[in-house]
Amino acid sequence: MMSERTLFEKYGGFSKVSKIVMAFYDTLLDSDDIGPFFDDIDMSRMVDHQTKFISSVLGGPASYSDNQLRQFHTHLKIEDAHFNELKTVLEATLVDHGFDPDDILAVMQAIETRRNLVVG
Amino acid sequence: MSIEAINEQLLRAIGVGVALLDRKTLKFNFHNDTFEEWFGNPDETTTLQDMFAELDIDELNAGLRENRRFTTETKFKKKRRTMVIALDFTAAHEKQREIAVLVCQNITRIRELESMIDSYSTMVERNTREIKREKEQVEKLLLNLMPRSVYEEYKTFGVVTPQLYDPVSVLMLDFIGFSEKVTTLDPGVTVTELNDIYSAFDRIGEQFGCERIKTVGDAYVTVAGVPDPTPDHAKSVANAAIRFVRYLERRNASHPHQWQCRIGLATGSVIGSVVGIQKYVYDIFGPAVHLATQLQNFSSPMEISVQDEMARSLNDLFEMTDQGARMIPGFSEQPVWRLLDNRKTPAGRAV
Repeated sequence: MMSERTLFEKYGGFSKVSKIVMAFYDTLLDSDDIGPFFDDIDMSRMVDHQTKFISSVLGGPASYSDNQLRQFHTHLKIEDAHFNELKTVLEATLVDHGFDPDDILAVMQAIETRRNLVVG
Repeated sequence: MSIEAINEQLLRAIGVGVALLDRKTLKFNFHNDTFEEWFGNPDETTTLQDMFAELDIDELNAGLRENRRFTTETKFKKKRRTMVIALDFTAAHEKQREIAVLVCQNITRIRELESMIDSYSTMVERNTREIKREKEQVEKLLLNLMPRSVYEEYKTFGVVTPQLYDPVSVLMLDFIGFSEKVTTLDPGVTVTELNDIYSAFDRIGEQFGCERIKTVGDAYVTVAGVPDPTPDHAKSVANAAIRFVRYLERRNASHPHQWQCRIGLATGSVIGSVVGIQKYVYDIFGPAVHLATQLQNFSSPMEISVQDEMARSLNDLFEMTDQGARMIPGFSEQPVWRLLDNRKTPAGRAV
């Protein structure tokens, strides 16, 4: 039985996804809306976080349970506007890296279902 | 423009930070734009230590003295990004003056990429461990379905070549009134009971060199001589059969549910192979299997019927009684023997 190909595989595995991670990381740090959440976070932890985030979003070798996601974000004062901004930034990054609109839509929908775990 | 002027302009504009220091005072004689962008603008009174508070000056001096070079790293925040800069000092002379050339490379990206590789490899290594564990589980399951040597062949070639094993001995066992039991007993109880009994049979069989092939409902099939040939195949199944009966008798004495078995033993050839592609199972076929099934039908409760050819090879070791000639479908009429437990025969010798 062939298992379904993940976006992670479709877009070239880690060698390509690593570029998305770095681009996303750069944009996040520059963003004045959500960048401040990372002000006091050590570089290696921040990179680790983004690597796992992008990997899990694309179906790569990381996945988080709803409980974990809630736990990670519970001490942060994340509002809907922040969440929207993250989606915008990620969408732009995926567009820059040649993702098909359908795939971007699927990623955005997957992220949207987790909004209530992160916001509030 | 003179060559010197061009050089200076180049030095100012490149993406590498450059500064020239007096070796003795470690004050700045020159710095370029990139250096200034990263670390600020040192004037003639600023020392190296002023700019890099965490720098170990003794270490630097020792390095320059012994190797004429010294390398270290410094970090600072630019907006919220952690910048990592490699500092490379080289001792040099300029018109008889001792100076130190400081070259600063931005290695932020390298450090970020290293962190990403760390993160990714940790994930992949964890997944690899999980896959390995799962693979071991699958292997364990498959080893329950087929002998190890057959499994190895299957793993290596993806197929199993049917093998003729000759001679081997087959033991067939079923339970009296199983169909009635299934309808009257709770299904969970039936499964637990069979599981208990079959596990005991497996252990006993293993002791005597038998390889259990399968169970189908109340039918239990085990064989000696597959996949590794053994001259004692008949003795192995005979010994196992006697212990199966002993085990059930002892179990019945203390359990609420009673199990009465019938056993048939036969010697001959079988073909062993994996059958099926998706739902594969290791199975044996052939005259010995057929004969053992027929002989099992001749057995009364808790009795063991033995085929004539096999009985002859067991003569010296086991007690048997002649049951007379029987017609076996597909075979000629032949004598059938009953295998007795020496321990229980009146004239029995102690085992």
